[in-house]
Order: sequence, then structure tokens, then C-alpha cells
Amino acid sequence: MPEKTIAEELRERGISRREFLKLSGILAGVVGLMDSPIHALAKPINPVERVIQALQTKQRAPVIWLEFQDCAGCTEAISRSQAPTLVDLVLNTLTIEYHETLSAAAGFQVEEAKQAAMKKYAGAYVLVVEGSIPTGNSGVYCTIGGRTAVDLLREAASGAAAIIATGNCASFGGIPKASPNPTDAHSVMALIKDKPIINIPGCPAIPEVTTGVIANYVLFGVPELDSLKRPLAFYGNTIHDRCLRRPFYDAGKYADSFDDDGARQGWCLYKLGCKGPTTYNACATIKWDAGLSFPVQSGHPCLGCSQPDFWDGGGFYQGQSAPLSRPALAAVGAAAGIGAAVGIGAALMNRAQQKHPASTVPVETPEAKEAK
Amino acid sequence: MNWNSALEFARGPFFYAALIIFIGGMTYRFVRVLLLGWKPDKVPGKGSKLGGVAVSYLKGLIIWPFIPWVKNTFTRNPLIYLAGGLFHLSLFTVLILGTTHMLVWKSLLGFGWPTLPLPIVDWMAAAGIAAMIALAINRLIHPVLKLLTGAAEWLNLLLVFLPMITGYILTHHLFFPYEMGFTIHMMTVNILLIWIPFSRIAHFMFYFFSRTIHGAQFGKRAVTP
Repeated sequence: MPEKTIAEELRERGISRREFLKLSGILAGVVGLMDSPIHALAKPINPVERVIQALQTKQRAPVIWLEFQDCAGCTEAISRSQAPTLVDLVLNTLTIEYHETLSAAAGFQVEEAKQAAMKKYAGAYVLVVEGSIPTGNSGVYCTIGGRTAVDLLREAASGAAAIIATGNCASFGGIPKASPNPTDAHSVMALIKDKPIINIPGCPAIPEVTTGVIANYVLFGVPELDSLKRPLAFYGNTIHDRCLRRPFYDAGKYADSFDDDGARQGWCLYKLGCKGPTTYNACATIKWDAGLSFPVQSGHPCLGCSQPDFWDGGGFYQGQSAPLSRPALAAVGAAAGIGAAVGIGAALMNRAQQKHPASTVPVETPEAKEAK
Repeated sequence: MNWNSALEFARGPFFYAALIIFIGGMTYRFVRVLLLGWKPDKVPGKGSKLGGVAVSYLKGLIIWPFIPWVKNTFTRNPLIYLAGGLFHLSLFTVLILGTTHMLVWKSLLGFGWPTLPLPIVDWMAAAGIAAMIALAINRLIHPVLKLLTGAAEWLNLLLVFLPMITGYILTHHLFFPYEMGFTIHMMTVNILLIWIPFSRIAHFMFYFFSRTIHGAQFGKRAVTP
């Protein structure tokens, strides 16, 4: 592990006090620090001061980034992060020891470098995982350097201080895990139980969220997480809660198709299949491409890509209130057939009983009484 | 508890099963009533049966909203007559003309239809909920109704009330996170779907039987007003 603190390294590189404070301010913003009363009691009140303090005491964190059943989309996304940029991260807070997409080296040399890094920083490195891990047929569906993904993950996880799962695939299994899940793909948290795990789901994960969470971890450790291990600072609200089209939802004004009047006027996309109400992510606030826009803003319903099993959560363009499965005509016919058969059977039995009553109670007429 | 998987269950296999039970059960009830038979008509009638049926349905449509005072049930207890009607109207509006419910029909039937704006549906839902509370209180205090009301009736009221109130909570995002409210709503809907064929809530189908038969009988005797 590098022995100098982050602040010392920055000073050595000639970063001025002014630039250092600016960086601290940006970091405080992106890691989602809040001025809550609890923080005020225990730690310095000002989030920027907390960042400065952390930069002066923490060292740069070594990172090992593994890719399994992924599309490298999360890496592509993070390379376009605006604040902090990937370059900022690499220069200031991280040393990326191994990354298949970003490494200049390849082949056995880079695998050796990874082994060396894992040995050198044992128990201290941050493991970032991108992509799901196939376990079917002993994991042969994804191998790197002749070793299976499960094997590589277990090895790397054993020496990690914490694991950050980026993207829906690593967090929840993503597209590879979608039904019928041919490779028996699993998420990181389904396989690794003994390490702190932070999930940053999304398809891809929002780059600023990835960099923000990594920076947060390096400075302050594992942030506050929800029940699906997602950082609350970024996954505390639904898309729907923060949606710019929300007033139209409340007013009941919906776009009926992608090119009708409602769509042109920016009305709610619920009827076009928006999954915003059940999707927790920061798209509506941080947005994409340096805050330019996000899917719902540009006219496309939210797919729910930061939720578990979003690929199997009903049609992308089917309103969310619709049921997930529609009974097959055969099943409906069978149900109606059974109902009708039982009904006919019961009716026939009733008729038979009416014609030949099992026990007839003789009715005593007044005349019969008198005769007695 | 992970509400995502609970919601997936409630919208997926549980709804599927509930719908199948509902369809099977209602077919059973339908066949049972159908096979009660229709007595052969041996006496020539004075009036038109068809006309009687038409008048019967027309009365069903017109009396409640426009001339409720012609009904004894209204003059005896107007609040309950109006609350009962309002509840049914609300149910129809929300289930058929509410956008979210139309999308359910669309996914099941394959076609949709225009719906009412949310604020109208929303006020109708609120009116339906209020009407239902009024009807429940009436059951509690009405001396005769109290005697007629057993566990099955209270269960009917509860199982209809739960989807309505949870639907209202869901629409307004009250109390629970959306996926939790959605799960609870779907669970209550599924339970209701399973319960309907075994209860008097199945009257939504028998209503048409009784209207038709009574209309035909009155029409035959030419006693329609």
C-alpha cells in the first residue's frame, strides 16, 4: 500500500491549496455527504471539512477490477464520468492494479501483475466486479486465462477489504440471469457472504454514482446501504419520486404512444411501460452525460434497470399495473371446463335426488290427524 | 423481506392462480344457475316478455341516478340506497375507466379503451370508500341488518374494502414505499378474486339473471309500470 496520504501525494504533484479545497468540495458533493444532526454530533459539521480530514489521513486505495459475464458497458460509462472523472479517481484516490479493458498490458503478464497486487495489498484492496458469474457446468461458460469466473472471484474476494459490484449483472445477475438463465448466472452477493459488498446496480451504473461510491469508500468506508446493499445516498429515492414528469402523473395526463400529443408535451410515460415508481436510482437527479438528460426526460419510459430481475419484470412497454403473466387460453379453458363439469355434476345429482328422494318424510295432513 | 420478489410473486404466479380459480369458480356458479332450468311457459301472456326485460334494465339504469324516490328502499333509508348505488358506480368507474386497471384488461384481453382523467377516477374511488364505510356502519347499527349479518358478510365487506383502500393508498403514494403498497394491493386483489366465486360477491353475474327473469315475468303479465 502507498505510504503517503492522498493529501501528501497531491501536494507533491503541485496541487495548490485552492485546487485541493475545490477537489474536496466536489468530492463531498459526489459522495452524497449530508449535514445530518447525527453527523454533526460525532464528526465535523461541514461535509467539506470531513473530506479534507479524510484526504489528509487516508491513503490511495489499490483497486482490482474484474469483468465476468459483462458487456464492459459499466467501464465504458465510468470512462465518461464527469465528477470525479476517472482520471481524477486514478490520479487522486485510486491505483487501479488490474482492469481488463483499461490495462495496456495483456495475456499472462497482466495476470501475473494481478497476482502480485493481490499478494502485496492482501486484505487492503478494493475489488470491483462487473458482470455476473456463471456457475452452471462448473462455471465453464466464462473463463479467463483458463480459470473459471467463480474461481477467480473467490480468489480475489478472499483478500479484498470490500467488494463493489457495479452494474445490474454483478449486483443482481442482470441479463445473463434472465429467464431461462442458461449459464446459471449469479450475482456477487449470492456467492460471497463474508465480505462487505456495495451494489451499484444500473445498466450501466450511472458513472458519477460509481466514481462517487468508490471515492466514498476510500474516504469513509462502507456507506449507508439499503436492504439490497445499495448506497442510500444514490438509491434512496425512486425515479418516480424525483421525476420531472411527475406533475403529469399526479394530474393523470399520460402519453398514449411515442408520437402523440401527450408525448410531445412531455406527459407521464406510465402507460408506455415506465417502471419509475418501483425503481430506485439517481437518474432523475444526477442524470447522464454531465447532467444533460436521462431516459424519461428524453421521452423513453424507465426500464427499471437498477432493480433485481428487471429483465423478467413484465414487458418494457407494458404498463406496470398489468400482471406479469397472462394465463394461456388452454389454462383458462381447463379452469372453465373443470368448473362447468363440477357444476353439471352437482346439478345432475340434485335432480336425481329430487326425483328419488333418499328419505321421504310423510306429511301429516289435518285429515290424517283427525282419522287418528 | 425483499418487496421486489414479493411484488413479482403477487403480480405473477399468485395473480395467475387467483385468476384461474376465479374463472373456474365462476363457471361453476354460472352452470349451476343455468341448470336450475326455466319452467315451460304453458299460459299465453298478456304482454311482451322482451318489452318487460327492456323496461327492467332501463329501470335499473334510470331509477338510482334520476328518480330514486320511486323506490321504497330509498324513502325508507335514502342514505343507504344512495351509498349502495354510489359504491357500485365507483367500483365500475375505477375498474373499467381507471387507466391503471384498463392496462390490466388490455394485457389480458389484448385491447384497451379510452379512460377517464385520474382526478375524476380518484374522487370516485374516494366516494366509493366513503360509501362502503357508511354501509358498514349501517350494518352495525341497523336492528334488522344486524341480525342478518354474519361472518361471511363481514368477510365480504373486508375483502372488497382492502383492495379499494390499498389502491387509494397506492395511487397517492401514502404510508408505504410504492413497491410495498403495490404488493399489498395485488395480494388483497388476488385474495378477493379467489373469494368471489364462493361468496355472494358473485352477485355481479346473477344480477343479470334476476333482472332478465323478473322483467320477463312482469312483461308477460303486462304489469310493467
